Amino acid sequence: MRVLDKLKFSTKINLGTLFIVTLIALPLAFVVSRMAADALIDETKKRGMVISENLASRAADSMLAMDLLRLKNMVDEYKGVQDIVYAFITDRDGNVMVHTFVQGFPVELLAANEADDATPSHVRLLFTGRDYIYDFAAPILIVGARFGTARVGLSRAQTQNSVNRLVFFIFALSGAALVPAILFSSLFARQVTRRIGLLREHAEEVVKGNLDMRTGPIVAANCWEIMNCDLTHCPAYNDTRRRCWYLAGTLCPDCSDAEDGDKEESCKNCPVYNRNKGDEIQDLAETFDVMALSLKTHLEELKQAEGVLTRQEQLLRTILDATPDFVCLIGDNLKYLSVNKAFADYVGRTAHDIEGLSEFDLFPEAEAKLTREEDLRVVRTGLPFDREKRARRGQRDMWLHVVRAPVFDKDGRVMGLLRTARDVSQLKLFQEQLIQSQKMESVGKLAGGVAHEINTPLGVILGYSQLLQEEVDKDSQIYEDLKIMEKQAKVCRKIVADLLGFSRQTDSAKLEMCFNNSLMEAISLVRHTFGLDKVYIMTDLDERMPIIYGDPEKLKQVWINLLTNARDAMVESGGLLLVRSRLDSPAQKVTAWFADTGSGIDTENLQKIFDPFFTTKPVGQGTGLGLSVSFGIIEDHDGSITVQSPVPKGFFNQEAKEAPGRGPGTLFVVDLPLDHAETLEPDHAIDKGRT
Amino acid sequence: MRRVRLMMIAVLAFAVWGCSEEEPAFQVNLGRRVETSVSVPKRAVTYAYLPQFAHTVSYERHRLLVEYLQKATGLPIRQIFPDTFDEHVKMVERGEIDISFSNPFVYIRMAAAGARAFARIIEPSGAPEFYSQIIVRKDNRNIERIEDCRGKRWLAVDPSSAGGYIYALGEFYDNGIRREDFAEIAFAPGPGGKQEKVVMAVYAGAYDIGSVRDGALSLLKDKIDLAQVRILAESKRYPGWVYAHRPGLDPEVVNKISRAMFALNMDRPDEALILRTAGMRGIIPAVDADYAPVRELATKLGLEALEAIQ
Repeated sequence: MRVLDKLKFSTKINLGTLFIVTLIALPLAFVVSRMAADALIDETKKRGMVISENLASRAADSMLAMDLLRLKNMVDEYKGVQDIVYAFITDRDGNVMVHTFVQGFPVELLAANEADDATPSHVRLLFTGRDYIYDFAAPILIVGARFGTARVGLSRAQTQNSVNRLVFFIFALSGAALVPAILFSSLFARQVTRRIGLLREHAEEVVKGNLDMRTGPIVAANCWEIMNCDLTHCPAYNDTRRRCWYLAGTLCPDCSDAEDGDKEESCKNCPVYNRNKGDEIQDLAETFDVMALSLKTHLEELKQAEGVLTRQEQLLRTILDATPDFVCLIGDNLKYLSVNKAFADYVGRTAHDIEGLSEFDLFPEAEAKLTREEDLRVVRTGLPFDREKRARRGQRDMWLHVVRAPVFDKDGRVMGLLRTARDVSQLKLFQEQLIQSQKMESVGKLAGGVAHEINTPLGVILGYSQLLQEEVDKDSQIYEDLKIMEKQAKVCRKIVADLLGFSRQTDSAKLEMCFNNSLMEAISLVRHTFGLDKVYIMTDLDERMPIIYGDPEKLKQVWINLLTNARDAMVESGGLLLVRSRLDSPAQKVTAWFADTGSGIDTENLQKIFDPFFTTKPVGQGTGLGLSVSFGIIEDHDGSITVQSPVPKGFFNQEAKEAPGRGPGTLFVVDLPLDHAETLEPDHAIDKGRT
Repeated sequence: MRRVRLMMIAVLAFAVWGCSEEEPAFQVNLGRRVETSVSVPKRAVTYAYLPQFAHTVSYERHRLLVEYLQKATGLPIRQIFPDTFDEHVKMVERGEIDISFSNPFVYIRMAAAGARAFARIIEPSGAPEFYSQIIVRKDNRNIERIEDCRGKRWLAVDPSSAGGYIYALGEFYDNGIRREDFAEIAFAPGPGGKQEKVVMAVYAGAYDIGSVRDGALSLLKDKIDLAQVRILAESKRYPGWVYAHRPGLDPEVVNKISRAMFALNMDRPDEALILRTAGMRGIIPAVDADYAPVRELATKLGLEALEAIQ
């Protein structure tokens, strides 16, 4: 049976057909042969009887007439006829009257067979040693009286030959029947196996992923052609790969509304079904095609869904990774399930590495312990929790605002938590600055009040010291002392004036003014003095002479402040001070740059230099109010003042680079809005002229 | 697997059945040969019946009579079977037939050669003589009288039949009708049942007229409606079949035989059986003169008629 299992399907069909035909043909051949042989022998016997009885009947007359010649002629008529071996006639006494033997009569033959009067003839099979002979004995009766016996011998060999020929013919015919049987079975097997082979090939193609193969046959006429249908929106219309009875929702009026499973049953009377329906293999092939198409459709849908999912995941991942916050999803076992890039960068590992780790794997034990407790609290209570904490990142301290939100599963149980930490160091800084500003504002108001209060007594002191100078000798010590008093009183008055200016308690007198002139006034005022300290001022002013709306005195104070600051930074080695102004018509502003080649400002101090009372100068040399007063004035003019250090490359021209005592330098940039009514029109005219 | 085995067994059973059952044969040696010889019959009085029928019929009819005669006379009597009328006549002339039973016309030929009648039979009709009946279909209006037979088609029994042809021909002669006056004279096809065939042919309308010996019509009474057949005419009565002995036969033998013949009586059942089987009711003495009317008829019909008989 195993051997049979391994045979090819076509060979099995051939063997089966061969076996069935043989099984039918062989017994049939045996039976038919046997029946035919029996019938032939019976026929031979009947013929022999008829011949012998006929001879007996014919011989009667001649027996009566004792006409031996006619008797002899009668028996001789049978000589050599077909299978008749001999014929002879005996008289009533058993004497042979005539016979067909040539040389004497075989005497044993007489007793070999005997006819009785009651039966027309008697047959007996004789064996001569070489041949079998059927001997027939018919009594010659005349009016019931026995006159003799007619004997005829028929060779069985000829009958046997005929039987053998017949048997051979039957068996040959049976054998010949095998040839067309095998031929037809081969054709049939080839037809079946070819289609099964095609199915198998296509199945292999499907396994390889090729779902575009067609297994079912192409029908001569499709359903819409058979039914003369023009319902182009029917799902079966123009679908040559699938039969309509496999499709749901076909629109043909003959189609029933049965469920898909019953649809084919309801199609039994449909002309399309009856014409295009094939055998089981075609059904299989067509179902296979339908399956492949469905599979292809599903795969495409799956691919699309996968694409969408991937895109969404990428989107989510991008969002998560793009946010500077540290986002991590932590499971209820307090292990990291997923983290974003910012967090991974924060802990200095890849996101993939962090998955599955715990706090203790990432942070120092003390910190990890605290974090774990807080995480645990959220997991246990299911309540969100947030706090700010200070963390140290490398050399830098930073403030983090950590928010923990529980994550629930569909049953409402806490399955983990989402922890978000945001760097709020900047915010903290701003908060501190705000507090400082508010403090400074209070101090300023206090100082302004105090200054206002001491301004009058100070004026009295100054007046009296000057009055007394006139009273004393100019060479006297008292005069010198009074001079010192006057000088220090003036210093005090300046401090008071600065304080008042800072607290904005001085009046502001704004008017249209030339920006360049304002600059030049201040420069010319200090240029000489600066020159003594080897600080040289270079100007690069806008030739368009921009007009602004401002307080000339206060602006001049700002310029002098900035220039003085620059000089102070270069006082030891000298240097170059570049003042540049530019009109920016589109932005409706004018900008002044004050660049020096001095020692520059530390990065840490850059943020603080506009704070009141902030100074890097020695005690007694600066009040720390200059820049903050300047900041206030510019702000009062709706402008802005910023500082950069060092000076950006390329800002100085060639001459400046050769200046002595070159340091990193500081650049102050002052933006002031233009005076609208007067400046816009000419600028627009210029712009128009240029374009 | 079990089914396959069962099928194989069935196939083998068929094969065995197909090849078995050989018929038993009797062993014979055809080599032992002898020459054969026919046994010669013993000397006896030979008795022959004019071969009007097949030998077996002749044998059947006269077997009992011959056996009776042997028994009654004590003479060895053997029935022999000449093949033809002519042979019968010649065997009488040659002395090979001692006792001949023949019709009157054959007798007058044999008488010419010296044979002599010594007995004649009583016909089944009960008369010692017989005649011809000329028949037509009852509805044949064309033949009302014997004269109407001219130009008609005539079916007779046999050219040598006395009652079936010659006596009727004599009747036509007497009425002036010759053989050539008929459109056709045909004879019933043999062998056997010729009388019946003539009646059937006329009844069926195949021939206009037919001639049969008396008593023939009654043979068909169960087969056809005899009312449809009309007897147009009957011939004269002539003596019936005759027993004659060859010339030179011992008169004692003739005497013994004739006595035994004449002794037969229909009243005795066993003898009645003998007589009926032989187609007669009795045997009565006869002399040659009894057949003068026959000779006369033969003369009347001319030598041609006699030749025709031969």
